[in-house]
Amino acid sequence: MGTEYRLKGSLAFALAGAAFAAPALAGGVPAGVLIENTATATYTANASTQTVDSNTVTFRVDEVLDVATASQESGPVPATTTAVLRFKVTNTGNGPETFTLTANPAVTGNAFNATVTGLAIDVNANGAYDAGVDTALTNGAATPALAADGPLDVLVLVSIPASAPANATSRVELTAVATTGTGAPGTLFAGAGVSGGDAVVGASTASATAQATLTVDKAVVSLVKSATVADPFGGTRPVPSAIITYSIVANVAGTGTVAGLAIADAIPAGTSYQPGTLTLEGAALSDAADADAGQGGSTGVAVQLGDVAAGGTRTVTFKVRIN
Amino acid sequence: MSHRLLTAVCAIALGTGFAAPTFARAPAVALEGDVKVVRQVTENGRTSERLEEPNQVLPGDRLVFTTRYTNGGAEPATDFVVTNPLPGPVKLARVDSFEVSVDGGKTFGALAALKATGADGKPRAAELADVTHVRWRLASIAPGASGEVKYFAEVR
Repeated sequence: MGTEYRLKGSLAFALAGAAFAAPALAGGVPAGVLIENTATATYTANASTQTVDSNTVTFRVDEVLDVATASQESGPVPATTTAVLRFKVTNTGNGPETFTLTANPAVTGNAFNATVTGLAIDVNANGAYDAGVDTALTNGAATPALAADGPLDVLVLVSIPASAPANATSRVELTAVATTGTGAPGTLFAGAGVSGGDAVVGASTASATAQATLTVDKAVVSLVKSATVADPFGGTRPVPSAIITYSIVANVAGTGTVAGLAIADAIPAGTSYQPGTLTLEGAALSDAADADAGQGGSTGVAVQLGDVAAGGTRTVTFKVRIN
Repeated sequence: MSHRLLTAVCAIALGTGFAAPTFARAPAVALEGDVKVVRQVTENGRTSERLEEPNQVLPGDRLVFTTRYTNGGAEPATDFVVTNPLPGPVKLARVDSFEVSVDGGKTFGALAALKATGADGKPRAAELADVTHVRWRLASIAPGASGEVKYFAEVR
C-alpha cells in the first residue's frame, strides 16, 4: 500500500523512507526512476469498517538530454605565446551522459585565430594544465560519463601565432554535445535512455557553446629613422662637407616591457661619423665603450636602451659628414 | 471475578470473529487507479489539453492521477474516505476539491490553512510542493454507484 519512490537496489529503500525528499537535481527526477501511485479507501458497510487499495499504477521517468557550457574566465585572457582557457561543462539533464567536446578557435570576427593544441579535464581543478595529473582529451572526443548535475572543468590549450598583433583579441569557443544525440527540444531517441527508457532532447538542444577571449600580450618595437641635412652654405642640399643629422626613434607599443632593447646603426658609405655627436634623449653620450649607454665610431653607433615599457619611446641622434 | 474475566475474553473473541468475514469476502467497493500525461497540444492556433498514456514522462510533465470507485455491494458504503499518498517524484500541481496533508498524512486540511517548516526551521505557509497526501471524503456511495476522484501533479 501507499506510495514508493523507487530507485534501484538499496537506494530505493532510503528514498522510500524519506517519503518527501526535496528534488535532488536541477534536471529533475533522475531518469529511470519508477513512479508508483496507489490510493486507499476506507468506508463503512454492513456496520463494519473496511479498507481497500487500488491497483498500483507504475511508470518510468525518461531521460532528458541537456547540457550547459560556460566560460570560467571573467575577462580576456592575456597571452603571449600560449594560454589556457577555462570552461565548465555541466550535465543539466537527469541521467548520466557523455558529451563530445569541440574547441573552435576560428570564431567569426576574430582579428586572428589561435591554434588549439589540446583539451584537458582539469582533474585537480586548479585552472592550469598539469601534464600527468589532468586528463588530456583529443579535440572532438567524448568526455567520460557525467552524472546528472555533474560538472566538468575543461581546459582548452591554445597557442598564439607569432603574427598576432599586440592587443588583438580572439575568441575561442567550446561546444559540448550529448553523444546520445541532439536536436530540437523534444527530439526522441527511443530506448536510448537510462534503463532502456527513452532519451528526449531538452531545452538546451543537448548542445551548448561558450566563448572565452584571448588578448595578445606582447610589446612591439618600431624604429623610425629620419635625417636632416645642413650644407656648408646654409642650405639643406646633400653636398660634400654637408652634415647629416640622423634621428632614430624607438617606439614600444602593445603591452608589457621589452628587455635589453639595443639600437645599432652603421655609418653610411661615403660619410664620416662626427665624434662626440651621439645623444640619447637629447643627452650626449661619449664615443668610448664605457659606463654610459652608447658608443660611436667610424663603423657605426650602438646604444643600449635596456628595459622599455610599452608606451615608451627613446630617441637617439648622431651626425655624419658627407665626404 | 472469574465470570467477568470470561466475559472480556469472549468479547475479544467475538470482535475478531466479526471482523474476519469482512476480510474473507471481496470488499464491496473497488478502486481502479489510472494515470495519464497531460499534454498541451496546439492545433490551428488553438491550444488544448490531451491525455496520453505515460509511455514517455519527463521532469516537468503534468500528470493526472485518477481513482475510480465502484460500490459493487448491496449496501451503501458510508464515511467513504480515499487517501492517496503522493509519489515522491511528483508534486501537487494545483489544489482541488480535496484535503491535503503536508505532514505525511497525520493531519489534513485546506492547503492555505496548513504550515510547513521552512529551510530556516521556522514555520511558513505550506506550498503545493509540500503536499504529501491528498484525501477525498464522501458521505455515502449507493449500491451500484461509481465515480472518480483525481489530482493533478507535476514530475519534479
